[in-house]
Amino acid sequence: MKTGRMFRGFFVKTISFVGYTVQYGCIAHCAFEYIGEFVSVSFLELFGQSISTDSKRNTYKSLFLPTINLQQCSGPSMEPTITNHDVVFSERVSRHLCRIQKGDIVIAKSPFDPKMNICKRVIGLEGDKVCTSGPSDVFKTHTYVPRGHVWLEGDNLRNSTDSRSYGPVPYALIRGRVCLKLWPPHNFGVLAESPNDGRIL
Amino acid sequence: MFRGFLVKTISFVGYTVQYGCIAHCAFEYVGEFVSCSGPSMEPTITNHDVVFSERVSRNLCRIQKGDIVIAKSPFDPKMNICKRVMGLEGDKVCTSGPSDIFKTHTYVPRGHVWLEGDNLRNSTDSRSYGPIPYALIRGRVCLKMWPPHSFGVLAESPNDGRIL
Repeated sequence: MKTGRMFRGFFVKTISFVGYTVQYGCIAHCAFEYIGEFVSVSFLELFGQSISTDSKRNTYKSLFLPTINLQQCSGPSMEPTITNHDVVFSERVSRHLCRIQKGDIVIAKSPFDPKMNICKRVIGLEGDKVCTSGPSDVFKTHTYVPRGHVWLEGDNLRNSTDSRSYGPVPYALIRGRVCLKLWPPHNFGVLAESPNDGRIL
Repeated sequence: MFRGFLVKTISFVGYTVQYGCIAHCAFEYVGEFVSCSGPSMEPTITNHDVVFSERVSRNLCRIQKGDIVIAKSPFDPKMNICKRVMGLEGDKVCTSGPSDIFKTHTYVPRGHVWLEGDNLRNSTDSRSYGPIPYALIRGRVCLKMWPPHSFGVLAESPNDGRIL
């Protein structure tokens, strides 16, 4: 009789623990979904994870920890604005209110791998004219960004796979807008403007 | 009295936020009810039908050829489209119509899917806007809920010849 009561007490405790975890998990998830998340730029190799052999692509995978949604961003395509080992904060509000603007740095889902994310700057919105040729090309070519799409480019033009190779990306793939650099402390603050100003037409 | 009222309001707001977050996560990770409009999926899904679309297959990357999916429209981030998956990444898909003499084909790029409506004559799909990224898919339609006489699992594609 006493064992039965003990067992029932233990069972009730487990159920309420699971209930609280689910509740807490849901609230944390909604906070990351609708407010923002921390993004860490670091060498994934240090953590023993394999990354794409395409070193030009600035990719990131996500680790969901119970308290912070830590995303890891790696690659050289956003230098010098964002370099390896940087931690940035990406907010979700602009994306939900459709207020992403030209010149914003965004985190988006990769169009070629639904599990990976990319970090690039928005160079053109729907309807804008964008330059598809390189800065060193003799003949300049242009294209218009289709409805519902954005044109993304990395700041490090020589070492970035972006819309110049895979075309415009649907707006719906954007996850959030990078608004603050948190680490390293001497770089804390708002991110720099695009070093390739001539490309925003 | 004022403090009691304030405490009650705060706890009401707290419960609403809690309940809202749990409901949101249920819709995000389990499934949602969708009301469809438009003729592009006739006769499988007609105007004003209500279907249930589950999220588990999409999160586990288990969407297969022949599945009906709800996806975000590539041309309007606020709209959703309901089409059938005719090809996954690497598949060969037929880009010409059934009545064309010369058949043309293309390969679906990595990370993309090829969507077509069941009502080929009246559907704007991948035949006009090309393959869409897999990441735009929201869920897989698995059950028709309304009208009651059509309740149940959805029919196979009426255009079987197009799935290569």
